[in-house]
Amino acid sequence: MATKTIKVDYLARVEGEGALDLTIADGKVTAANLRIFEPPRFFEAFLRGRGYEETPDIVARICGICPIAYQMSAVHAIEAAFGVKVEGQLRALRRLIYCGEWIESHALHIVMLHAPDFLGFADGIKMATVYGDMVRTGLALKKAGNEVLRVLGGREVHPVNVRPGGFHRLPTAAEMAGLAETLKRARDDAIALTRWVADFPFPDLEMDYEFVALRHPDEYPFNEGRIVSSRGIDIDIADYDSAFEERHLARSTALHSMTRERGAYLVGPLARYGLNFDRLPPHVQDLAKEVGLGPRCTNPFRSIIVRAIEVVFSCDEALRIIAAYERPEGAFVPLAPRAGTGFGCTEAPRGICWHRYDFEPDGTIKTARIVPPTSQNQASIESDLAAVAGTMVDALDDEIRHRCEQTIRNYDPCISCSAHFLKLTVERQ
Amino acid sequence: MSEEGDSDTRVLVLGIGNPDRGDDGIGPLVIECLAGRLPCAVDVRVRAGDVLALIDDWTNFQSVIVVDAAASIGAPGRVHRIDALHETLPMPPLPASSHAFGLTEALALAQALGSAPAEVVVYAIEGEAFEAGAAMTPKVRAAARGVADKVATDVRQMLRPHAEAKSHA
Repeated sequence: MATKTIKVDYLARVEGEGALDLTIADGKVTAANLRIFEPPRFFEAFLRGRGYEETPDIVARICGICPIAYQMSAVHAIEAAFGVKVEGQLRALRRLIYCGEWIESHALHIVMLHAPDFLGFADGIKMATVYGDMVRTGLALKKAGNEVLRVLGGREVHPVNVRPGGFHRLPTAAEMAGLAETLKRARDDAIALTRWVADFPFPDLEMDYEFVALRHPDEYPFNEGRIVSSRGIDIDIADYDSAFEERHLARSTALHSMTRERGAYLVGPLARYGLNFDRLPPHVQDLAKEVGLGPRCTNPFRSIIVRAIEVVFSCDEALRIIAAYERPEGAFVPLAPRAGTGFGCTEAPRGICWHRYDFEPDGTIKTARIVPPTSQNQASIESDLAAVAGTMVDALDDEIRHRCEQTIRNYDPCISCSAHFLKLTVERQ
Repeated sequence: MSEEGDSDTRVLVLGIGNPDRGDDGIGPLVIECLAGRLPCAVDVRVRAGDVLALIDDWTNFQSVIVVDAAASIGAPGRVHRIDALHETLPMPPLPASSHAFGLTEALALAQALGSAPAEVVVYAIEGEAFEAGAAMTPKVRAAARGVADKVATDVRQMLRPHAEAKSHA
């Protein structure tokens, strides 16, 4: 029996540390296992015994590129537990800061990390020698997103201005006017970026995903909605455990999330777009159609186009919010702690980020649970890898290794967030 | 020191590092030692790691001096002065993370985009303790004042051609 093992010891252009072991026996892929060896980070344990007010600043440290997702899910959970609802302009400002995070996170991944895979460059730096204008465009977009985070969050990395009930400080009219000018240029850049990536050569691969995302009655989702799936899940965020379970696998320091009935599912841009296309503004839908996207996309390699569409949407939505902005009377809604349990679920750039907290009567955290997007996508990444490698079992190991790395980068995985990710090994039997 | 974006600002002194990670804090410490010692035409900044955001800013500067900690190759506290546009900067042992670009990658990207400064000097100080919450080791701390003196001397030399051109104008 011919056995072949291909190893990718450390994945480039992903965040955190992990590896992939691929086993090929008698011309078939028999195993595609992600091994996440990023050390566990124990954030849920750090949170126990801390006051509710500290939570946004602690959870922001889980990720340098998507801190808003962690802050937003946390503050929504706290407010739900204490019986407070944040509405109006404060709610709109939360959508605005989330726009900033999607713009900076997606722009960096599209241009510096993902595009080189399609254009045959080892990295974004080598690509910049040929496609300098588009790299500058991507970097300008990242800078625009960072500027939204700086104005609304107080600083670009690990923002400090988010608090339960709202913000510590409200943006000034001059700051909002400055952001609007930046975002108008960013919207044009995002449209140009979308048209550029749509022309890349994409491998043929259609996957049978169960999409999972938030669904809101009116909005393309950021902070609020029910958890829905393309196979019938439609639950309140508090009922996450009724439809999903986290499993511990020996090869991974990240828990694997599965649907209880069917197993692997997909969160992130493809799922969000596929379940919420009708919530995009008509002109963004038109741009998606112009670049060849239908209302659903199941080719993971084309996720780069969906991310670009989401950047366009985020620029538009941010401009809409700024145009409608009227300074609220207070920077936050006052809240009084009480014993209880609260849930938060918001759309991080990589997919839903679910939190649950139990509080003592004085607001001290008794227990915390955080389910990040990448841990939810691990099983789907492994399914994609088996499918991709299965079409090229006779190829050279280096070719298989390269295509598998590309497949993983389709997910823009954040291993550090999930460890609680890459090295590729291929074993042929 | 001048405000960011001042058109007269020609020299940037950049301290890279996290003061809460032991010897990684040497870059910010050298910046502290330079307080009040540099002329107005010098912009001084501290960054905690991701310097990608500086690529745009670099187009505004003729010269950049970077102070950063480095993995030790045998002598913690030893200072290396590297002409980064003509000598090779050490690459990190692992490929670039998606979430934070280091100095080597940021400079290579600026060069690929044609936006690198004309002069980039890197002071790399070998460290030995980088754990979160660790104190800076005495040998590394002792190097700060000397590096600050060297940076101040470099700055004077970088500004001299400009001052001479102004006096002849």
